[in-house]
Amino acid sequence: MKLCLFLGCNTPAIRPDVEQAIRLTMPELGVQLLDTEGYVCCPAFGSFPSTDDESWLASSGWNLSIAEAKGLDIMVECGSCYSSLRMGRDHLVHDKKKLARINELLELTGRKLKCKTKVHHVSKILYKDVGTEKISKAIKKNLKGVHGVIQYPCHTLFPSEVVGFEDSPREPKALRQLTEALGATVDTYSHELSCCGGAGGFTNNSPNEATEFAKAKLDAIIDETKAEFIVVSCITCLMHLDNIQKKLNETENTDKYNIPVFDYNQLLALCMGFDAKQVASISSISKDSIINKLK
Amino acid sequence: MDFSQSNKDLWKEIYNTKDLLHCFNCSTCISGCPASNGEPPLLVRNLARMVVYGLEDELYDEDTPWACVSCSRCEEMCPMDVKPFELILAIRKWQSTNDETRVPPSIVEIYTRGYTQAVGMNVELRKSLGLPELKTITNMPEQMKLYQEMLMKTPVVKENDYMFKEE
Repeated sequence: MKLCLFLGCNTPAIRPDVEQAIRLTMPELGVQLLDTEGYVCCPAFGSFPSTDDESWLASSGWNLSIAEAKGLDIMVECGSCYSSLRMGRDHLVHDKKKLARINELLELTGRKLKCKTKVHHVSKILYKDVGTEKISKAIKKNLKGVHGVIQYPCHTLFPSEVVGFEDSPREPKALRQLTEALGATVDTYSHELSCCGGAGGFTNNSPNEATEFAKAKLDAIIDETKAEFIVVSCITCLMHLDNIQKKLNETENTDKYNIPVFDYNQLLALCMGFDAKQVASISSISKDSIINKLK
Repeated sequence: MDFSQSNKDLWKEIYNTKDLLHCFNCSTCISGCPASNGEPPLLVRNLARMVVYGLEDELYDEDTPWACVSCSRCEEMCPMDVKPFELILAIRKWQSTNDETRVPPSIVEIYTRGYTQAVGMNVELRKSLGLPELKTITNMPEQMKLYQEMLMKTPVVKENDYMFKEE
């Protein structure tokens, strides 16, 4: 299968090792990725979606039209990009007036949108299209005997009628089963389905409360599980849960918060035998403890 | 509270869906909402009341809609299908349409370089990871110009065009 890779901004700009993990692993599993040349911000919910529908949907339309011109669907890792593009597309598909207006705007740029291009999350492609069996067969190393936990990206769960792909959004399984396919044991914990709290204005407006919110999740992981790593599939969850641990260690004068956080494709890349320097080298909390455990 | 000055049609102006009027303040939208732990807390149910009661002045000054993390839990769980996340976005739109100080600076960044982050500028780091050079819109001046011309026709950019003038 062939898809347009929509990178968003945080991944290529701040955590490009995640981008490389995606670029290296997907083709090995039969998913060919083409660049979305000239794409713009998804747009982030705090930007145009908070000012007016036209600027939001014109930007969604701009991005969708690039993939549509290639006759391809889009694949995204970032939760916010995924949700913004899905919701934008949903508005355009269900509201002919809005689509007509956006096409008036796009026409000025020589584009036309039919909304044929769909938007998929990378974890959906891995879980539903590639499948865990193929992944288990494609890896050279595994995580047998190593415990981990999952942080589900909210934007791939809610609202399920617009963004969902899990059989039950209240009981998501994709990332758990994908991680088990790498040989790891996945533990459960009380805050498993709570948000990481890293997106939007919360962390800026209420930094102390946002830190406490993430701390409750990390404490639950430490107290209730044997987890040695956290798996996410959203760049915001990754950066937030990684960076907040460093901050907590500094402010609380401890070294208790040292659970490495991996984007799923980073773990997959390591298990496939790719070089950690290329696919898992940027972090606040070192990933070496897990990299050294791969057998 | 004095309701004599309230704007009874405010909900039509902000969020014209009858679903909003079905809200019975059950607070499901707050349970699990990260920003409900903020200071001040984001209390979606209160915002819904403000819109329904037409408390225009109070809503105009509310900062809490901007604390939302967009996780959309409330959208999933609301038993009355109010679509609280859509309501939050609708309040933000109303605020930034009526108060230019609410227009988020991020839209100027996107207009200027296509993104809120410096995408494609970390050339050395990308090279060291073996990554290809990105075809960003910043590197495609003709496309950038078209995108800006298109945005110039949208309400927020048209109304606030002074924010987008090149220096």
